[in-house]
Amino acid sequence: MAEHTGWLLDVYTHPQDGLIVWLLDDDGTRRRLRQPFPVTFYAAGAPEHLRALWRFLKEQPLAVKLSRTERRDLFSPESFPLLAVRVEDPAVQPRLFNRAAAAFPELTYYNADIPISLRYAAIYGTFPLARCAVVTGVGDTIHSLTCLNSPWELDPPTPPLRILALEPDVDPSHACPSHLHISDRHYSYRLALDPARPLLVNLNAILQRHDPDLLLTSWGDTWLLPHLLELSQQHKIPLALNRETGLGFAHRKERSYFTYGQIIYRGQQIHTFGRWHIDGHNAMLFHDYGMEGIFELARVSSLPVQTVARVSPGSGISAMQMLTALRQGILIPWHKQQSERPKTALELMHADQGGLVYQPIIGLHQHVAEIDFISMYPSVMVRFNISPETVHPTAPSGESGSTVELIPELALYVEQASPGLVPQTLAPLLQKRLALKARMAELPSWHPRRSSYKAYASAHKWLLVTCFGYLGYKNARFGRIEAHEAVTAFGREALLRAKEAAEDLGFTVLHMYVDGLWVKQDGLSRPPDFQPLLDEIAACTGLPIALEGIYRWVAFLPSRQDERVPVANRYFGAFQDGSLKIRGIEIRRRDTPLFIAETQQQMLACLAQAQHVGELEKYLPQVFSLLRRVLSDLRAGKIPLPHLLVSQKLSRTLPEYRSPSPAARAAAQLQSVEKILKPGQCVRFIYTLGDPGVHAWDSAEPPVPTSVDVRRYTTLLVRAASTVLQPLGISETALRDRLFDNVVAVPNLWSARLPQESTPGLCYNTV
Amino acid sequence: MGRTLPSITQVFLQEQESFARFRRALRRSDQLALDDLFAAAHQHLAAAAYAAHALPFEVFLLAMLLEEHKEVLRLRRLVEDPQPTADG
Repeated sequence: MAEHTGWLLDVYTHPQDGLIVWLLDDDGTRRRLRQPFPVTFYAAGAPEHLRALWRFLKEQPLAVKLSRTERRDLFSPESFPLLAVRVEDPAVQPRLFNRAAAAFPELTYYNADIPISLRYAAIYGTFPLARCAVVTGVGDTIHSLTCLNSPWELDPPTPPLRILALEPDVDPSHACPSHLHISDRHYSYRLALDPARPLLVNLNAILQRHDPDLLLTSWGDTWLLPHLLELSQQHKIPLALNRETGLGFAHRKERSYFTYGQIIYRGQQIHTFGRWHIDGHNAMLFHDYGMEGIFELARVSSLPVQTVARVSPGSGISAMQMLTALRQGILIPWHKQQSERPKTALELMHADQGGLVYQPIIGLHQHVAEIDFISMYPSVMVRFNISPETVHPTAPSGESGSTVELIPELALYVEQASPGLVPQTLAPLLQKRLALKARMAELPSWHPRRSSYKAYASAHKWLLVTCFGYLGYKNARFGRIEAHEAVTAFGREALLRAKEAAEDLGFTVLHMYVDGLWVKQDGLSRPPDFQPLLDEIAACTGLPIALEGIYRWVAFLPSRQDERVPVANRYFGAFQDGSLKIRGIEIRRRDTPLFIAETQQQMLACLAQAQHVGELEKYLPQVFSLLRRVLSDLRAGKIPLPHLLVSQKLSRTLPEYRSPSPAARAAAQLQSVEKILKPGQCVRFIYTLGDPGVHAWDSAEPPVPTSVDVRRYTTLLVRAASTVLQPLGISETALRDRLFDNVVAVPNLWSARLPQESTPGLCYNTV
Repeated sequence: MGRTLPSITQVFLQEQESFARFRRALRRSDQLALDDLFAAAHQHLAAAAYAAHALPFEVFLLAMLLEEHKEVLRLRRLVEDPQPTADG
């Protein structure tokens, strides 16, 4: 017997060795441990079908233990009879289940496709990077395992991970890489990608020498690892990318899918065994929360690190709900079973609504407080116990008024007596988020923990945002549209109560957006001035609320098409600490060229110095000189070509474009050099003169600098500048007049109006 | 986005579109006044959504009337209590 303490790295099944647990021992050893781990799935249905399944399973050449049992699922308060199938080797369970489901499709299956890491977490309370004490016996077999910490700790200990970064010298979609950069904290290597034999030999030597826990690659999923594996096969030199010897790699195919009004592209994935592979360019939201965020997602969801790095946060929430169900002995259906109950048209009109989105009062405002409900929808679910099994169209029998909450506009009843599955899952996550917010508010801005907390908060935010969508998602196992509708109904009620509270206290409500409101009152400009309002809103809604900040000034912008019409999410403003909040304008758009986004940012930063609306005018000369400088740089060809790049997403396949957009034309250029882009992938291009008006950045030839369409970029720049200056009463026409009067030597009035026409033969050079 | 019903903005645009022939036949000056009315109704889309009225155009008409009445109140105040303003 031996005792080890360390960090849990990974749990997976091995075709011969059963369950494998990797432990990063405190003595520095990476231990591969084995554990007997039988898993059970269940089947329910007509007794004759169950008997047939029993006979079928008995004939299988596998070690299974069959028994009759009774369990309950989420929607049935009473237990019902089931056939329990206990499979001794967890590696064969998926195969056995697939055979059974194919032979007996009429049966209902439960706990059939649960990821092994979740089954393990449900029993031992583990999660990736958990601190564990393990007792092992002969053959490194685990006798007992105790988890020493909780995923809800605010300051989880930092594991001493060995990370090796692998990166080709250029973006493989742009040009053909020639070298591979490899680095860890102390060493760096540069290997030529050709010839292949020395590359493979050297790479193997480096992998053996450093034995990393994490391979952090750039384009590893989509290019590097497939390329290396192909070379390895061609030259018959096995690559030691896995720590687990004798196993291949888990591949997931590339795909494009449509969600929330946009098309998403996910590249293919390559997962390794015994160590992790994460591709920074194929990791969901990697830019948003980095490795620390990924580790936090893994900790709170109990999903493997390699999985959470790539899946949507929705899968994280789904895993957390499964874990809650497993721990409570509630059956997890293989397929969702609930369907929507019929509604009348009028019921549907009331129920099928989202959050309240107001049209703000257009223009510049000062001393405006922005007040936000903290994680409004998850808070609503926890506060009002909204879960698929707690929402009913009729009052549950035997429940008294105090244990049922009625939603009048939907005629739905929400049980309050015992906590639902979703609120139970979310409550600790919400608590952790609130505690982190409180901790961050106390820490000074230079504090080193701040960046970790920010990454955690960002990871939590995505989990909490998606948990609401999953309540209404048609394929979510624990989804139910009535519960989803109940959440938005409570959300609308809370926002309207907040509005009423603000108006009762004499505030003007400038804008409301789902979970936030913007208010002002003459003479009030300090945070304590708004505290009574916060207290009142918290009291009348029962939901946590916080002052996001007080704006020195904020501008709500009208629609581009009609300046009389306000737009809900197009505004910018400067908080009292000088920080900016910007929504819906060019700087936030992916397709804005970098130099335009930077110019807009600098203009806003300049205006943010104004302490109140009256001071804004003082900063206008600075803004104009900035604009003139950028314009003259643009004309003189001094802006580097990469800063002119426009990046747009393809929304469909090329033949599906009836009149090809600039992005489609650029993609067509790439197609002609056999670089095929899928819907959801981005294409980068530069606007050029003549036909087809674009030059794809990743095409074989670099663009000719003199072909840059300076006029088009000038128009885009002026439009972006005018977005910022419009609230100060400077229209786009006035801006053009003011800018070009001073830039171009104008022979007559006509060329002053159309300055671009007067400067033919512009020369664009790279710098 | 997986919606069963059109959003209030879509409903509003459909209603506006259904008056395209009416608008086209108006004099230019009247067209602009009509556009003002629709812009006024547009300001109250959130309230119209919340109302979930079976006949949304009735709510849009009421929203137009609401903005008209606000304008009447503003002008009445000016007439009854004329304050010197910045632009005279």
